[in-house]
Amino acid sequence: MKHSASVLALAMGLGWSGMAVAQEMKAEVIHWWTSGGESAAVKVFADQFQKAGGTWVDTAIAGGANARTAAINRTVGGTPPAMMQFNTGKQFDELVENGLLNDVEAVAAEQKWKDKIPPAILAATVRNGKMYAVPVNIHGQNWLFYNTDVLAKVGAQEPKSFDDLFPILDKVKAAGLIPLAFSGQKTWERNLFNAVMLGQGGAKLWLSVYGDKDPAAVKSAEFKNVAETYAKLRNYVDAGAPGRNWNDATALVIQGKAGFQIMGDWAKGEFIAAGKTAGKEYGCVVLSKAGGGYAMGGDVFAFPKTKDANTLKAQAVLEKVLLDPTTQIEFNNKKGSIPVRLDVDTSSMDVCAQKGAKMVADKNQQAPAQELLTPPAVTGAVEDVISSFWNTPGQSVETFQDKFAAALKSI
Amino acid sequence: MLALRPRLASKLSAWLALSPATTILVVVYVGCTAWTVWISMTASRMLPSSTFVGLRQYDALFANERWQISVSNLVVFGVLFMIASLVLGFLLAVAIDQRVRAENVLRSVFLYPFSMSFIVTGLVWQWLLNPTYGIQAVGRGFGFETFRFDWIVRQETVIYCLVIAGVWHAAGLVMAIMLAGLRGIDEDIWKAARVDGLPPWRVYVSIVIPMMGASFATAAVLLATSVVRLYDLSVAMTNGGPGIASEVPAKFVMDHLFERQNIGLATAAATSMLITVAAVVAPWIYIQSRRRRAA
Amino acid sequence: MVAAVEPAGPRPRPVTPARVGLYAFLVITALFFLTPLYVMLVTSFKTMPEIRQGNLLGLPAEPSLQAWGHAWSAACTGLACNGISVGFFNSVKILVPSVIVSIAVGSLTGYALSFWRVRGASALFGALMIVAFVPYQIFIYPLVRIFATIGINNSIPGIVAIHTIFGLPTMTLLFRNYFASLPIELFKAARVDGAGFFRIYSSVMMPMATPMLIVAVILQVTGIWNDFILGLVFAGRENLPMTVQLNNIVNSTQGERLYNVDMAATLLTALVPLVVYFASGRWFVRGIAAGAVKG
Repeated sequence: MKHSASVLALAMGLGWSGMAVAQEMKAEVIHWWTSGGESAAVKVFADQFQKAGGTWVDTAIAGGANARTAAINRTVGGTPPAMMQFNTGKQFDELVENGLLNDVEAVAAEQKWKDKIPPAILAATVRNGKMYAVPVNIHGQNWLFYNTDVLAKVGAQEPKSFDDLFPILDKVKAAGLIPLAFSGQKTWERNLFNAVMLGQGGAKLWLSVYGDKDPAAVKSAEFKNVAETYAKLRNYVDAGAPGRNWNDATALVIQGKAGFQIMGDWAKGEFIAAGKTAGKEYGCVVLSKAGGGYAMGGDVFAFPKTKDANTLKAQAVLEKVLLDPTTQIEFNNKKGSIPVRLDVDTSSMDVCAQKGAKMVADKNQQAPAQELLTPPAVTGAVEDVISSFWNTPGQSVETFQDKFAAALKSI
Repeated sequence: MLALRPRLASKLSAWLALSPATTILVVVYVGCTAWTVWISMTASRMLPSSTFVGLRQYDALFANERWQISVSNLVVFGVLFMIASLVLGFLLAVAIDQRVRAENVLRSVFLYPFSMSFIVTGLVWQWLLNPTYGIQAVGRGFGFETFRFDWIVRQETVIYCLVIAGVWHAAGLVMAIMLAGLRGIDEDIWKAARVDGLPPWRVYVSIVIPMMGASFATAAVLLATSVVRLYDLSVAMTNGGPGIASEVPAKFVMDHLFERQNIGLATAAATSMLITVAAVVAPWIYIQSRRRRAA
Repeated sequence: MVAAVEPAGPRPRPVTPARVGLYAFLVITALFFLTPLYVMLVTSFKTMPEIRQGNLLGLPAEPSLQAWGHAWSAACTGLACNGISVGFFNSVKILVPSVIVSIAVGSLTGYALSFWRVRGASALFGALMIVAFVPYQIFIYPLVRIFATIGINNSIPGIVAIHTIFGLPTMTLLFRNYFASLPIELFKAARVDGAGFFRIYSSVMMPMATPMLIVAVILQVTGIWNDFILGLVFAGRENLPMTVQLNNIVNSTQGERLYNVDMAATLLTALVPLVVYFASGRWFVRGIAAGAVKG
């Protein structure tokens, strides 16, 4: 009996997928956008796809690694989704190398995407001269958010660089508040370090460290200065920071318990949820010293290989939908990021997004995020080194530099 | 063991009955282990590749600071967690065994954490141990301004926080096992002890505990398996932090297998774990089976 | 083998300092065990602004069931915002066959290993003991390939097979030890009556194994219900268990977090194992007393 039950279940499973083939343009999408705001954002894509005659089959799995694990296993196991999410960068390199992805050249050429997408983002989707993924947004990863009341209370102006920031942090500390709201988890420790590297070292150092993986750059005086600045920030975080979630740190800024937070633009979602407006209760700025940069990361969708004609059709329609100008504005407003196309009008977006869009339009400010430059294995190794440095005040900057250079070369 | 000569039909049936287990063992466990060992000698990143690199992944592994910390954490955690769970579980069982009121309620209270997943366990304890709003904040709220309990944010002490949460999760199970053991002990021993005028604690120490070897062994084995597999708790509670101070081997394997797309290094770590486990467990099983055969 | 479940400790005397100390120990430990549950409960009844104030142990100022309703039927878990209720029946669909099959295979294996002298039996048992220690995560990738090849990937049979595979070591251990504790005469008598291998299993041994069966059911129900990663990888998108929705609510990386909803969702998901434990704590101890500690 048990046996027949499982045969029945199997048959039902097969019947189901049989139906999927019979129906027109059904597309299963694996992604990791699950919170309220993210859900609203992904709904924009789903609705547009529906309007174009498709059926969006949603498979959401929270946690990027979880979603990618499921998607990659499905693809390798021969039952891929029609479309899967990755972070902009190198996460799908090997899928391309193993011939598991369809390229998106046809639609890209038709829509002239290559003229409209910032070069760094475009480069992150191209392998062997072909575009293998569609970027959908740009997240700036190195924003400094601040509570305007706290700034007013200590009588300070919006800082422009880290050199400006430190005196203000001292004042906030003297006022009995937490100067820098921090979430001590590895990812954010690395994110903070990267923000300091771009802000203090500039795009040139950034590219020689992460782009060329040049050990001389890691041993340079500029890098040393970055590390020292980063280490100095330890004095401005509170005792509860280790292990804290990033959004709890944002909450500290929202409530005026802390002055600043350095975080990606997704933090705006928390401010919005608390009923705050950019430029009013809170402000945002990207710190830079002599040609810094905007750390551009984001998300892309990739399209696994398939022979099924309906799925192929659905993939082509999806590609177009994702980068449609109105969809881009609507999606990115909900996601907190900015459009990936430079030719859309961003005047309807909030002041932070407009600041971001302006930076993205400026070639000198475009800095590819770390994930765009180093493969996940290296990103992870570097993260361990940074995290260990941040949490070990006794560790010398020279040791840190040595370990950092070794991690860049790892494997 | 039992010396019975089964007839052929029964013998075939026995083989048949063991075939699922044998298939699983050979195909899944042995097969997958062989695959794991093979991949650990290749340059695989996200997907398996067949570029043979010998023991280079192992060189990288043993030079890796995070791996070294993971291993030493596992030893510290394993020893403390097992001792604390066994002691607390035993004490609870003894206490409950004193004809206390509301025994059923107490037993359920001590046992329920074991039904929670480690993810939930880690999440809740992370809150409780956080100095800004957890136990430390509550203690200070009562007026103890200098009360300090910030283990979870300090690298030297964070591993003890994992121990606390782990003990919370597992002590109830140990209690159940010990309670069962205590109740299997003959009433007459207590009567005899009373006649001899021995104080109860002496009876426990010199008579009861030695009689409960099997209970301790069962509990220890169950605890030991969860020590080696320790993963979710570290993820949910500290995500390995502060820094890399509370990393553990299984998390090293998982992170490199998926998030970091480095299955060569991940399988090298997994293989090292396997070898260590086999080196400890195999002799123990051998001795056990020898003893049983002798008995 | 019917274990005494009455307290076996020394008889209590009227209120003595020792007695007071005993209750103090039990009450304090019970508080330690209950605090996490208490925190989860009060948090789930609070509003987000109140949680942001950070008084972890305080009672909710305006208790509200809103988070519970939201978690059950309105929280977003992707495109759909139907809460965690969606996955409940999937979890049941996975749970029931997985528990049955894994216990059937485990008990049969344990039975064959304890009463029948089969060549290689002790090697099989030893190997199963070793793999009980292995972190199962390292087998995920090769298993996906194997399952894809034989065509049971992403299906209920697939996930049932997975839970059977990973439950095999513990289930076999439990049943083997239990059967080994039964008097051999039972077995001999059945043989004299001419009963064959499966006859003895189904009409003599399993009816005697009720206490152990209860322990096995409790362990498997909790383990399988709390599983996340295996269900995610092997069950297929039509059958994703409730823990996947829970993870979607609790674990979003860049989205805003609602802790009251997180806690309500966590408690709702944990309800099934919690009920199982609170309802069967007594049976659990009895079952363990009946066999698990011997051997």
